[in-house]
Amino acid sequence: MLVYVVRRLLAVIPVMLVVATVSFILIRLAPGDPASVIAGPYASGDDIARLQRSLGLDQALPVQLVKWWGRLARGDLGDSIFLRRPVLEAIFERMEPTLLLTAWSMLVAVAVGVPAGVISARYHNTTVDQSLMAFALIGLSIPNFLLGLLMILFFGVWLGWLPVAGYVPLEGGLWLNLRSLIMPSLALGLVQSALIARITRSSMLDVLREQYILAGRSKGLSERVVIYKHALKNAIIPTLTVIGITFALLVGGAVVIETVFNIPGLGRLIISAVLRRDYPVVQGVVLLIALTYTAINLLVDLAYLAIDPRIRFR
Amino acid sequence: MKRTAIALLALLALTLGAGAASAQDTPRAGGVIKAAMIGEPPSLDLHWTTAVIVQQITWHIYETLYTYDKSLNPVPLLAESHAVADGGRRYTITLRKNVKFHNGKEMTSADVVPSLQRWGKMSTTGKLLWKGVEAIEAKDPYTVVIHLKEPSGSLLYGLGSPNNGAAIYPKEVIAAAGEGQIKEFIGTGPYRFVEHKPDRHIKVARFKEYAARTDAPDGGFGGKRVAYADEILFIPVPDEAVRLAGVETGEYHFAQQIKADQYERVKGTPVLEPGVVKPYGWITAVPNHKQGLMANKKVRQAFLAALDMDPIMAAGIGNKAFYRIDGALFYPEQTAFHSQSGVTGYNQKSPAKARALLKEAGYKGEPVRWITTKEYDWMYNTSLVAKQQMEAAGFTVDLQVLDWATLVQRRNKPELYDIFSTGFTLGADPALATSVQCNWPGWWCQEEKERILGEMLRETDPKKRKAQIERLQAVFYEDVGRIKFGDYFQFSVTRKELRGFHNAPFLYFWNAWLAK
Repeated sequence: MLVYVVRRLLAVIPVMLVVATVSFILIRLAPGDPASVIAGPYASGDDIARLQRSLGLDQALPVQLVKWWGRLARGDLGDSIFLRRPVLEAIFERMEPTLLLTAWSMLVAVAVGVPAGVISARYHNTTVDQSLMAFALIGLSIPNFLLGLLMILFFGVWLGWLPVAGYVPLEGGLWLNLRSLIMPSLALGLVQSALIARITRSSMLDVLREQYILAGRSKGLSERVVIYKHALKNAIIPTLTVIGITFALLVGGAVVIETVFNIPGLGRLIISAVLRRDYPVVQGVVLLIALTYTAINLLVDLAYLAIDPRIRFR
Repeated sequence: MKRTAIALLALLALTLGAGAASAQDTPRAGGVIKAAMIGEPPSLDLHWTTAVIVQQITWHIYETLYTYDKSLNPVPLLAESHAVADGGRRYTITLRKNVKFHNGKEMTSADVVPSLQRWGKMSTTGKLLWKGVEAIEAKDPYTVVIHLKEPSGSLLYGLGSPNNGAAIYPKEVIAAAGEGQIKEFIGTGPYRFVEHKPDRHIKVARFKEYAARTDAPDGGFGGKRVAYADEILFIPVPDEAVRLAGVETGEYHFAQQIKADQYERVKGTPVLEPGVVKPYGWITAVPNHKQGLMANKKVRQAFLAALDMDPIMAAGIGNKAFYRIDGALFYPEQTAFHSQSGVTGYNQKSPAKARALLKEAGYKGEPVRWITTKEYDWMYNTSLVAKQQMEAAGFTVDLQVLDWATLVQRRNKPELYDIFSTGFTLGADPALATSVQCNWPGWWCQEEKERILGEMLRETDPKKRKAQIERLQAVFYEDVGRIKFGDYFQFSVTRKELRGFHNAPFLYFWNAWLAK
């Protein structure tokens, strides 16, 4: 077990090196450069060239790449071109909203998705099942930014219950913080809950056809015990995998939702960094997301162990 | 008895009502003005960038020696007065006394000279002006002398320009910046910089020791500036729908760049005040004079002849209240410079003439590469309609839609395009306007034009400058320097409780207050 974990952790290093290099090359392959953005629309070509020199962007790409590796080895992600601070610091400043948003959305996704899937499976082929799955289909089809904008219109502008946009940090009070995250988490989480519901349903349906369920029922166990104690525990493994994937989707969705709801998180950070070609920030955030994703995968694999004793990793 | 009581009550109500009304009309100090901006400024160093949003935010913090009055002519701000001697070649500028920087230090010529030198070296406008500057010296703590090689009609306009402006920084800040951007944001303005939390806000707070001018506000940017609000938050809100929704629900007091088709709805919402920023800029297509198809004057003339500006502007802006069909290089609001003389080729609507010109030019249907962006939808929409009109006249147009960062980079490379879309925002001095410069993408460099511009830089008599502008306009249309589609105005929305706010071409919040 320990050997397995150490081996998985060591495997992270080459993955990160590849991610670092690919993100470096990709963002530089994109046309446009930070100097023209800083200089503004009325600057002349000479002004832009002067800025490029002062930002060190006139150096050859391989030279810049080697410098980037060198800094990485020292754990330094470099300085943001626009934010006037180290990338790592910029990332830490943006962690809070994104972590909270992802956590709340995950909670929404699981709290809505798993029960919906279980109920659908239990009342298979009934109106309940069909209407739940119809909702799930709508949920899967609706883009989260559209859901977000509709919610802003409904709850923010018409009803005036919730703030239309913006983020109140935790230090501004727990309730205000939560209030600013309700709509974004719902917009993000509900869409994901549809996926979780569908997966839970189909995996529950498979399990419910197993003979041990029939045995359970025939020995007189209550339907509740059959469903929640015996079936769900076995059916949850695929759901767990999907929850892991959902995390990645949530991070992707956060990029969009943070822009719609004006939340200063990692998603906004990367979007504005891409738009103005803030190379070090793009590289840093991509690296961080890759690292988190690898860690989540590892955690999901370890969670299999805890849930299903038949699984053994070597 | 009862009647008396009612009368008394009525009287009381009236007094209270009147009191409330007058309380709303007298400026009131306090509160936080929240302004929803389109994004983040790329820098907070005004010398470094021509980005409009940097000017809009930072000129609450930094001030310049001059600024503009209502008709966009220069008036003193940090300067007290100036004297011109030596046939227009020596400007002796007297500074105002007891003007404090936000770090508590007094502003003197020791700060002004390095600030202007840095601006002359770094800013786009500054560099243009500094070609004509021989020397600048501090004669005493309150006197700065600028020696010019030739008389200049543009010097004071340049020193007063808000965009990429000649902000006066403390000398220590300039020394600490070296060749890079400034690291501390200190000026003499009515608001001082507090913090910049990227993607959250830029916070400025009232500078208690602000040395305001004593002359009354002149309806432009001159005169007394008062910081009524305790703080101003400039909040980046990239989504236009969210900016508007936020100002509607009271989260923001101001939202900029709202689409003109929302005008009627905003007008019908009681808590909101629609504002037209007029003049704001032109919508333009810039042909590449250096290389490719558009380097041929006949092809450019064909391009101009083919266009019908009304549908183009209607597609770009939508609401008629937000655009104007006018081919002049300067705005009717700039009374000293606006003229229709020389505006000969504007809005010809003649595909037949275009076809003939193309034939003369020997054009064989090679694709015209036009780069545009959807980030500013008016750029994309105008280019789309213009493309159709060009095609009707026999052009083949390859419209390439890029993101803005790519467009501003590619337009510096003459081999990559024939036309690019952009806008020119208001510039007060005709000789310094980007729209007529040679050293700018599109590279419109033409002998006669350069001569007129040179004369205009030197000319100090406004009447003679107007005659030069008329000659310039004739060259502009004969040589097709750029394609001007028309003037456009910006739509900004404020809440009713934001009082004393002017929808000026250069956004500002001093002298505005919050009624409650």
